[in-house]
Amino acid sequence: MTVPIHLRHDETFVLNLGPQHPATHGVLRVKLTMDGEYIVKAEPVLGYIHRMHEKLAEGGTFAQFMPNTARMDYLHALAFNHGWALVVEKAAGIEVPERAEYIRVITVELNRIASHLLWWAAFLLDLGGFTPLLYAFDDREKIIDLLERVTGSRLTYCYMRFGGVYNDIDDEFITGTRDFIKRLRGRMPRLYHDLVTHNIILIKRIKDIGIISPEQCRRYGATGPVARGSGINYDIRKNEPYSVYPEFDFDIPVFDEGDSMARYMVRMHEMEQSLRIIEQALDKLPDGPVMGKAPKVLKPEAGYYYSAVETARGSLGHRLVCDGGKNPYKLKLRSPTFSNLSLYGEVAEGMLLADALAFMGSLDLVIPEIDR
Amino acid sequence: MDILEKTQVALAGLFPESALSVSPEEEGGQDVPPRESGVLVTNFAKHGSHLDVLCRPDQVVFVAQIMDREGYFLEAISGVDWLDQQQFEVLYDYNRLGGEHCRVMVRTRVPRNEPMVPTISAIFPAADWHERETFDFYGVHFQDHPNLIRILLPEDADFHPLRKDFMP
Amino acid sequence: MGEENVPSSIVQFAQLDSLLNLGRANSLWPMTFGLACCAIEMMCTGGSRYDISRFGAEVFRPSPRQSDVMIVAGTINKKLELAVKTLYDQMPEPKWVIAMGNCAISGGPFKVKENYNVVEGADKLFPVDVYIPGCPPRPEALLEGIMTLEEKITGKRRWPRVHPG
Repeated sequence: MTVPIHLRHDETFVLNLGPQHPATHGVLRVKLTMDGEYIVKAEPVLGYIHRMHEKLAEGGTFAQFMPNTARMDYLHALAFNHGWALVVEKAAGIEVPERAEYIRVITVELNRIASHLLWWAAFLLDLGGFTPLLYAFDDREKIIDLLERVTGSRLTYCYMRFGGVYNDIDDEFITGTRDFIKRLRGRMPRLYHDLVTHNIILIKRIKDIGIISPEQCRRYGATGPVARGSGINYDIRKNEPYSVYPEFDFDIPVFDEGDSMARYMVRMHEMEQSLRIIEQALDKLPDGPVMGKAPKVLKPEAGYYYSAVETARGSLGHRLVCDGGKNPYKLKLRSPTFSNLSLYGEVAEGMLLADALAFMGSLDLVIPEIDR
Repeated sequence: MDILEKTQVALAGLFPESALSVSPEEEGGQDVPPRESGVLVTNFAKHGSHLDVLCRPDQVVFVAQIMDREGYFLEAISGVDWLDQQQFEVLYDYNRLGGEHCRVMVRTRVPRNEPMVPTISAIFPAADWHERETFDFYGVHFQDHPNLIRILLPEDADFHPLRKDFMP
Repeated sequence: MGEENVPSSIVQFAQLDSLLNLGRANSLWPMTFGLACCAIEMMCTGGSRYDISRFGAEVFRPSPRQSDVMIVAGTINKKLELAVKTLYDQMPEPKWVIAMGNCAISGGPFKVKENYNVVEGADKLFPVDVYIPGCPPRPEALLEGIMTLEEKITGKRRWPRVHPG
């Protein structure tokens, strides 16, 4: 006598999530083996936006790679510019004037806030709320206006050069930024926290979902808000300081629970800390040139170089191998979301499908950065 | 002793000869033979890593076990194609999550026509995807890897794009 | 618009056809096909400053079966090629395609001699109606592209083209 079909629990089916799906992360495909509504195995499939950045780096000079850096993680493009500028400046021994360092920090932190705002909007869109997108984009447009005055682009910035930045900031940018800081600080408590963070629907959707332990973070190499949401106090701006970050007084938000709510709160607090950094940088901004001396044709000496910067998603590394020529011999981009996503398969086992999507949203993925 | 010395001491057991006193800038110079293996302390401000470990391919797993015991995490695995020396080089970057900072670069060289390196994905699951990517780009074969298939290129691609002699 | 002599169907209802075209043009439902950076500018167009809703196109449908226009925003890959073609084939007629951004027009910054993975333009796979250049194009450029598509459908422009100077 056979068991009727509806009482059998060993039937699994394969559900294909992506590569085109309404969540705005990009083209990610996840092969889900499902048992009803529960996930038995989740296997991300990458490569749908692989755009050969590492091969293009070898084909052109060091300066010709700068526009490519913004196309990888387009939401925090200035940090990618910064990382590339840092590694080449290390390799070639180029000095950066102080005013340029401060301008770099101000623009990178503004971009970090814009990136977190877009993450917030997209995360809530995944969970089903459309309104926060409109509020976040409103604030984001103000940031983009400020950065467009100074850099010339809205999204894919190519603002930094080896030795500084190419355009100085003017007084309107400084007053505009101060106004923006006041505006965002005024809007945060009501619009962001009262409406959304303390919302019972959000709390029920993301509390205790997708718990990542600190040991898992270490084994998979997860950094950034994913690690800080699991209790690991690691931020490159404090642990391995670069540029002028040691001059500023800011905190690193760390939450211990390891669930999606903790990662959410890390990013919300990071926005406030970025506002603090920008304020201090504007107060301490020195005068001077914005571009240091750099040779027209760069030929760094042969060797192995590494630079790490903290982007909105984690620790971005540039592993550069030079052979003395004018092209990089090999550039490896250590993308933070590549490592963050690698723990998805292990953590999503046994979750409900809707929870797995909330978990994926809390990891803050940008797929072109994974695929490079 | 600080973490840099602790790691050096832990790694020194693998290499019978003591770390060479020549600095990396002098390596490859007139009278200095290229080193076979060993641990070198590098200038962190210039190179971005504290230690430069050159090991044989079969020692890679032992190095990974030592790094795991000392509490490092695997940051990245990359490959380099030295076409004129007919060798591939696999670079492992280890870093620490919080606390004292120390970055260690581990390098190993394999012949270009038969690149085989044992996998470290049993110790660091992060290596799973990184090794797949190195296989995808260079064709380096990682022995005992649970799932060594292409990760970024289409599954049926028959070329390894980052090799220096590849042009589509 | 108007160069082709091909009638849209055997039976022609002159005023009804132009009324239907007016309806189609003013309620273009795009499919969410944001692949890369241009997708963010598409989202900004859907935001409240560059409101795409005034043109009737704010209803981004995830499913190709319910959409009129596919805005290809981003780079198409050899791995993604088959999926894009399938999505285009699944859209019901009448359908249009807007190629947004340099990557969708011609491969953009990735059309180099080392290119082994990028399809050089969406028009290698299916016919494209409107091309919007830019890397990424501004939201105003996307709105201009939608108005150009409306002009292609109805033969008339929503409001006159602005000439600088």
